[in-house]
Amino acid sequence: MVDKSILLDNKKFTVGTFTDSDKLLHAVETLRKKEVKIFDCYTPFPVHHLDHALGYTRTNLTIGAFLCGMLGTLSGFTLAYSMNVVDWPMIIGGKPQDINVFTSFIPVIFELTILFTAFGMVIMFFARNRMIHGIKEDLLDRRQTDDHLLLAIDNSEEQSLSNDEIQSILINEGAVKVKGNVESFNTSLTTEEDLEIVIGNNEGAAVIN
Amino acid sequence: MYTADIRKPLVLGGKTYTDVTNDICRPIENKPTNSWWLGFSIAVLLLLVLAGTLAWTVWEGIGTWNVNKSVMWGWDITNFVFWVGIGHAGTLISAVLLLFRQKWRMSINRSAEAMTIFAVFCAAIFPLFHMGRVWLGFWPLPLPNAFGSLWVNFNSPLLWDVFAISTYLSVSLVFWYLGLIPDIATIRDRATTKARKFWYGFFAMGWNGSAKAWGRYEVVALILAGISTPLVLSVHTIVSMDFATSVIPGWHTTIFPPYFVAGAIFSGFGMVLTLLLIARHVMNYENYITSEHLEAMTKVILLTGSIVGVAYITEFVIAAYSGYEYEQYAFANRMFGPYAWAYWTMMFCNLMAPQVFWSKWARTTPWFIFVISIVVNIGMWFERFVIIVTSLHRDFLPSSWVMYHATWVEVGIFLGTFGLFFTCFFLFAKFLPVINMAEVKTIIKDKE
Repeated sequence: MVDKSILLDNKKFTVGTFTDSDKLLHAVETLRKKEVKIFDCYTPFPVHHLDHALGYTRTNLTIGAFLCGMLGTLSGFTLAYSMNVVDWPMIIGGKPQDINVFTSFIPVIFELTILFTAFGMVIMFFARNRMIHGIKEDLLDRRQTDDHLLLAIDNSEEQSLSNDEIQSILINEGAVKVKGNVESFNTSLTTEEDLEIVIGNNEGAAVIN
Repeated sequence: MYTADIRKPLVLGGKTYTDVTNDICRPIENKPTNSWWLGFSIAVLLLLVLAGTLAWTVWEGIGTWNVNKSVMWGWDITNFVFWVGIGHAGTLISAVLLLFRQKWRMSINRSAEAMTIFAVFCAAIFPLFHMGRVWLGFWPLPLPNAFGSLWVNFNSPLLWDVFAISTYLSVSLVFWYLGLIPDIATIRDRATTKARKFWYGFFAMGWNGSAKAWGRYEVVALILAGISTPLVLSVHTIVSMDFATSVIPGWHTTIFPPYFVAGAIFSGFGMVLTLLLIARHVMNYENYITSEHLEAMTKVILLTGSIVGVAYITEFVIAAYSGYEYEQYAFANRMFGPYAWAYWTMMFCNLMAPQVFWSKWARTTPWFIFVISIVVNIGMWFERFVIIVTSLHRDFLPSSWVMYHATWVEVGIFLGTFGLFFTCFFLFAKFLPVINMAEVKTIIKDKE
């Protein structure tokens, strides 16, 4: 399996673990106000407005999807027109087989537009996220896909505040755990004891207010 | 976000995020229960019936079915339209309700989408084998033709169907898989066996829930929903055009596309309810699939059932008003001819039975909803049977009038597709999360 290299470049992270999405969102806003550069957040579910809070611009995938859709439209038309008008006109019921039969090509053109849009967009989505079958994941916490919401700060980046100040902000914002030097790992490296933590007990589980 | 206090919570039992993960991963991580084995065995038995009857059809020929002159479409196309229709509820729940921002869809969309995919598998069997020589099943594809100088005919609704159904199946699969990725990653990170770690790791594609990925994911899901909505409408519209573009009295009516789409959603919700009522009981998901969910779905059944009912009556009125005697006869024959029993079964099951959902008690009593959902399934099968068989068995020429009865092979194939459907569904319930964990976690604090 290939390693995913978004996190695995031997980077060290300061990671704040939250159990409440609102607190995470607030922490992100506070840190960004103080001009702290946040590497990324990792959450088990989509947190609304988190991407805005992190200052991410809206993805351009929609433009890509539109272009794929146009390609589909063109393919559908070319397919039907070249086969049924140019190469081998089929005379059915004495009706002319020319551009005027365009209306009966519409269903196929429509379906191919949808097909190309869907597949084109999803393939671009996977490419953009560097997702492919068999790639190894890189995690900062065993429970980041369960109930832990992580806020990761790259230690090698220059920050406006010292690492200690950042950590104390994270604690004040309600992080249940803050660690200074976290390296990413993938689950195949996990030991038996780690599994105990994940499956065995409910310690550190998120509490919903 | 402001939510009114009169709304009831979408997830009951005061669940935490971990509770959601544990509850939904439990059937995947534990050994299957006895009830799972029982259901799975019955399904596999029926699947064997499917294999046997299909093999017999291929070996002996299409003459093992009773489809013949006059009634050239019988149980096969009835079953095809029945299964395709069932599929529509899945896309409606996952796509249309997403566009409408209906949060109650979140705990039922996964299984409804799975149902869509399995139903389309079942549907595809019928036209494929009805062609007679299934090994030439690739002929409807627009391939350079080495067998003659012809290309496929793009004027034919049957070809539109090939494109529509295959697009529908592949787009539904993509939509379903995309939604599964975060949940597969959750199972990967909890995996205790090497096999599970490998396979869930393989299909999770390295998902780690980064905010960037979630941002893109939400946009992609929204666009997929946006294109799936016209897609799902187009699919059953095109299926209805298989009939509507012909010149058979009883078929060539302009009301068919909206009427078929409403019928498809109606039958699909019938099947979703049948499946979910079993699943929530067997897997103890009463806190996730609450009576609020059931009530919302029964309301959709009531609405679409009534639309279908109005369509039946409209069709009849238009035939009477048309002044075209063959059209008038087709409808009189449906109501009072030799297949009147099928017509009145359809009318009872689709138009009258769902009207009980005007009562709050009926909408919130699981066993009663289950009974009605079965009635709806039966009724919608009869709708397609009535449309196909009653319109064909008496055509313009009285000397070619026949009665059509299915052979044991046709019945076996139909029962067998239930085997295929439920085998797929049981495997899905064992190996994949039946409820979308990631999405349910977002609404855990919300109200409807």
